[in-house]
Amino acid sequence: MTSTITNVQVANSTCSNYSKDRKVGEGTYAVVYLGKQLSTDRRTAIKEIKTGLFKDGLDMSALREVKYLQEMKHENVIELIDVFSASNSLNLVLEYLPCDLEMLIKEQSIIFKPSDIKSWILMTLRGVHHCHRNFILHRDLKPNNLLISPSGQLKLADFGLARSLGNPGEDLTSNVVTRWYRAPELLFGARHYTEAIDIWAVGIIFAELMLRTPYLPGKDDVDQLDVTFRALGTPTEQNWPNVSSLPLYNSLRVYPPPSRQELRNRFSAATEKALDLIIQMTQLDPNMRCASTEALLHDYFLEMPRATDPSELPQMPSKKKSEKNEPPQKKVKV
Amino acid sequence: MVEEMSRGNENKSDVKEDESASKKRVITRDDLYRRSSQFRMWSYTREGLDEQKFKVNEKGKSHALKEFAAALEKIRQTDETFNQFESELSADKLADLLTADEEKRYLIFYSENIIKLTNSFRMPTQVKATAMSFFKKFYLVNSVMEYHPKNVLYTCVFLAAKSENYFMSIESFCHPLPKTEPKDVLDLEFLVLSSLKFTLFVHHPFRPLYGFFLDFQTVLLHPETAIPNLKVEALCTLYDAAKKWLSEHALISDVGFLFSPPHIALAAMYDTNKKITEKYLKMKYFVSNTVEQKQEGGQSDNTKPPESEINSKNYELLLSTINECITLIKSTPKTTREDSTEIDKKCFYALNPERLIKKRLNKLKTAGTPA
Ligand SMILES: Nc1ncnc2c1ncn2[C@@H]1O[C@H](COP(=O)(O)OP(=O)(O)OP(=O)(O)O)[C@@H](O)[C@H]1O
Ligand SMILES: [Mg+2]
Repeated sequence: MTSTITNVQVANSTCSNYSKDRKVGEGTYAVVYLGKQLSTDRRTAIKEIKTGLFKDGLDMSALREVKYLQEMKHENVIELIDVFSASNSLNLVLEYLPCDLEMLIKEQSIIFKPSDIKSWILMTLRGVHHCHRNFILHRDLKPNNLLISPSGQLKLADFGLARSLGNPGEDLTSNVVTRWYRAPELLFGARHYTEAIDIWAVGIIFAELMLRTPYLPGKDDVDQLDVTFRALGTPTEQNWPNVSSLPLYNSLRVYPPPSRQELRNRFSAATEKALDLIIQMTQLDPNMRCASTEALLHDYFLEMPRATDPSELPQMPSKKKSEKNEPPQKKVKV
Repeated sequence: MVEEMSRGNENKSDVKEDESASKKRVITRDDLYRRSSQFRMWSYTREGLDEQKFKVNEKGKSHALKEFAAALEKIRQTDETFNQFESELSADKLADLLTADEEKRYLIFYSENIIKLTNSFRMPTQVKATAMSFFKKFYLVNSVMEYHPKNVLYTCVFLAAKSENYFMSIESFCHPLPKTEPKDVLDLEFLVLSSLKFTLFVHHPFRPLYGFFLDFQTVLLHPETAIPNLKVEALCTLYDAAKKWLSEHALISDVGFLFSPPHIALAAMYDTNKKITEKYLKMKYFVSNTVEQKQEGGQSDNTKPPESEINSKNYELLLSTINECITLIKSTPKTTREDSTEIDKKCFYALNPERLIKKRLNKLKTAGTPA
């Protein structure tokens, strides 16, 4: 029986359609190259998945990335242009997005206008909404995974932790989302969670865009609980029914919830409507958090100023574009 | 329309795609399904599906013949008695390849093994259904005369488990499998993935079935029961039986290539309990619309054709689709063990022509020189 790969011609295309120019980055299971689609001269990123590296075969994160990106064609989700195989490596051809939101947040020379923040959050929510209506949770939203195209469009990327929304009764792992953006139900080790975990992360990113510094930067998992509740109040049975039955809910320091005035002071540049939306997205009880639909229809997006047109958004000063920004921490893989 | 209905209670998820655009488009569940790789790349008409299987069988045969010719050449060069018997060793006389129908029956036999295997691992239905889908897709691209189904089956199950987040280490997966090493499974992983055209997302009828179960409760029990004495327990029984029906009948059939998941879910419910399902569909098509119209202020639009006419046409269309789906599922032939043993032998020699030729050659040698 033959089991060689080379004689199979079923891959979408072959490596000869693309050139790999230079290495631009490396993740845990992939090396990313700058490439070109030869037929169109289009710049692409080629993510070469290392195979034969794992004793259990193809890596789960790589499989998830392929699985979900194949289904997700949307202006605010990174485009998977093609997949091809070459000498036992799996290659994802992605649109080339050299910038991400984290770089912009850290770039001190750039000033964010309220309309810029509105535009980024709007695009993030549109991408998230598209995931959710397809019953897909992203599970790793953070500024570093929100990539920005040369025309200013923001795109959700890195679907290595994504998964389909559970079937009724199915257990999920709570060990997802990079710590600073992890919703309280995950911090408490909930085995059942919903789209609300992504909404929380968007709320925290929203806050970070206004503060220009991470909103809830816990030093470790225990500290994350403390930082989160110091900022937003410790959940109780009153404001979150049944919270005390979650696995890791115990011996918490009790902080009072922040008053509206406190939040106003914290986000001094936010309008009342902007504040409303942040509050709705960062409700401690996931059942109280707004859904992507409600968020998109929120008055914040209707009031002036209108969201900046993507092409008018601030970009990285050109010389720094290629500089690699180290992520603040490694996310936990499942 | 049916996809619309499958949403059950969660129909608030439609948001205008682009508020600033002048043409405000609302994206429906139907639209989303049409964008899925399952619809775009793996949906067939019945004729199209048969044609694809025929093509694959032809491809398999020509592959097997090429392998046969190569094996013949090799033996010609290594066995000096070859020339003496050459006329008896041609592909015409020797190669006995699988017909399209045999290939189909052979695959049904292996599909049943997927169910047995996933059951023995106590894997969730989702994994079972995805593994089945992977396996069927693999053999819409490749022939059993190119790749023997035994290890392909294992790889499909292993890959489906990973894809559905039900991870198992390769050792614990291989442990209970007879004469199977991790390498046998892993070596095929990449081939299977590329045969799947790198599409791993499978829409099964189980999620829409659950959606219908919820919507049946809304439509049939509230505000008053639509069928005298109908209790929620009856709907639970219906749901459980329909789930079982899907696992027992639909899974093994080709229905996933031909109908959308909500259609298959409705077929399961209809075949399980015709009375309740029919009532639901009638309420959905004929009653709820008029209620909504009344609520909107009762102003009917005279320019449109009568609503009821369109509705009954759609209703009839849906029922005939459901019936077609049920018939197809129930007509999936069973393959007996004897039948499959017979085909298995053919398949073995198609994949190992050298063994076939040598066997024949040895027979000829012991029988002496031909006349
Ligand atoms: N579409 C893209 N366009 C341009 N550069 C990219 C693109 N995708 C990834 N990169 C670059 O390659 C690097 C590695 O990306 P990758 O997604 O494999 O890993 P990561 O998210 O950084 O890390 P991890 O594997 O831990 O999640 C990124 O940090 C980025 O610099
Ligand atoms: Mg990343």
